[in-house]
Amino acid sequence: MRRAQSFRRVLASSLFVLAVGFADAQQAAKSAPPATTWVVPRTADGHPDLQGYWTNASITPLQRPVELGAKEFYTAEEAAAVDQKEFTERTSWDRLGNQARVHYDMSQFGLDVIQAKVALSRRTSLIIGPEGRIPAMTAEAQKRQAARAAQRRGHEFDSAQDRPIQERCIVWATEGPPMMSSGYNSNLEIVQGPGYVSVLEEMIHDARMIPTDGRPHLPASIRQYLGDSRGRWEGDTLVVDTTNFTDKTSFMGSTENLHVVERFTRIDADTILYEFTVDDPATWAKSWTAQMPLTKIAGPIFEYACHEGNLGMPNTLSGARAADEAKGAK
Amino acid sequence: MRRAVWLSLLLVARMPLSAHHAFAAEFDINRPIKLRGTVTKMDWINPHSWIHIDVKGPDGKVTSWMIEGGSPNVLLRMGFTKDALPAGAEIVLEGFQAKDGSNRGVGKTLSFADGRKLFLGSSAPGANGEPDK
Repeated sequence: MRRAQSFRRVLASSLFVLAVGFADAQQAAKSAPPATTWVVPRTADGHPDLQGYWTNASITPLQRPVELGAKEFYTAEEAAAVDQKEFTERTSWDRLGNQARVHYDMSQFGLDVIQAKVALSRRTSLIIGPEGRIPAMTAEAQKRQAARAAQRRGHEFDSAQDRPIQERCIVWATEGPPMMSSGYNSNLEIVQGPGYVSVLEEMIHDARMIPTDGRPHLPASIRQYLGDSRGRWEGDTLVVDTTNFTDKTSFMGSTENLHVVERFTRIDADTILYEFTVDDPATWAKSWTAQMPLTKIAGPIFEYACHEGNLGMPNTLSGARAADEAKGAK
Repeated sequence: MRRAVWLSLLLVARMPLSAHHAFAAEFDINRPIKLRGTVTKMDWINPHSWIHIDVKGPDGKVTSWMIEGGSPNVLLRMGFTKDALPAGAEIVLEGFQAKDGSNRGVGKTLSFADGRKLFLGSSAPGANGEPDK
């Protein structure tokens, strides 16, 4: 408990410094030369060293609240107020929203997002640009989604195969690419070796191996849950291009032809600026881009052996069978 | 092949907390429970920890229950050890029973018998620690 209080004090004094620091770093990244003496660390082959443990835990919404219009950044004072509200006034129950009716108190188990280190940003939304929102879905995509929903309706609990892929412990919905905050355990580890970069996300357990040796993508006939990633260095930025997804996952309604470009730029000792652009003409009329900090954390990453302990799946299905029986008995 | 569709949890205004699964599919809002019991063991497993308790009824009969909890990864990271919830500890749970009627539940609130929260209770930001320098 003492530790918790001490963290709260540390947070109170450093939160806003962090927020301001990140915004400053963003500015610095745009207008050379940077004011600090920090020099990007490099691996033996001369590329920026992105290695270590990072978090993308975030309290910044993906989409900009409509009332903010084209306002892309908060001022330092506004950001401090917004963060303050999130950290002190809102509770884990608030953040659970409509899930709260049958749920445990997330904070009792350390699962509330603000109980971990949060990567703060002065952005009003992770999506950049004047709109700050996901472009409207194409008519084709809306039709496709409605068809999917209709196909599922009434069969949501028929079998394990009918449950979301996340519940089946196959891949986590925020795993990507593109990578998003997973709410808790939003931790990742980057390891670099000759010709490869590896990104391990704690949620759910996958290490994405990214060749950086210039080889082409896999043939279009080979599809993978996490797609097929190829990296290259553009100056000091690692650019990762991912294609070859399956139809078993979907990012915000995308198809298996989703094209993701991620950019990793180390902008200070404690921050990687992570940006992704997603493109899928069958889903959105235009591509869209989001940007978020990855903030350094103490390691290590723990194993998340999801499938082995997934008692929730049999419980959910047996609950559904009990409901079926009750319905039949009526 | 039926497509598995991800829940679009991220479409709401604020980043929500996303549990591993939909609790409402596993537990029944119409079966509220309040239990006082003695911990027999805790399973440190992902995606959810499970706390086993023995509950003595008014007739003296003991019934074993399992209570679903959070990911052990964060518990461990925040200093919760195997000694933090020892066998023999008395806890109180208010929550909901499993939809299949078995002795499994989810604790909407969970505390030690003396009222202390099982874990940190109110939020304690920043527990992932200072970064390595």
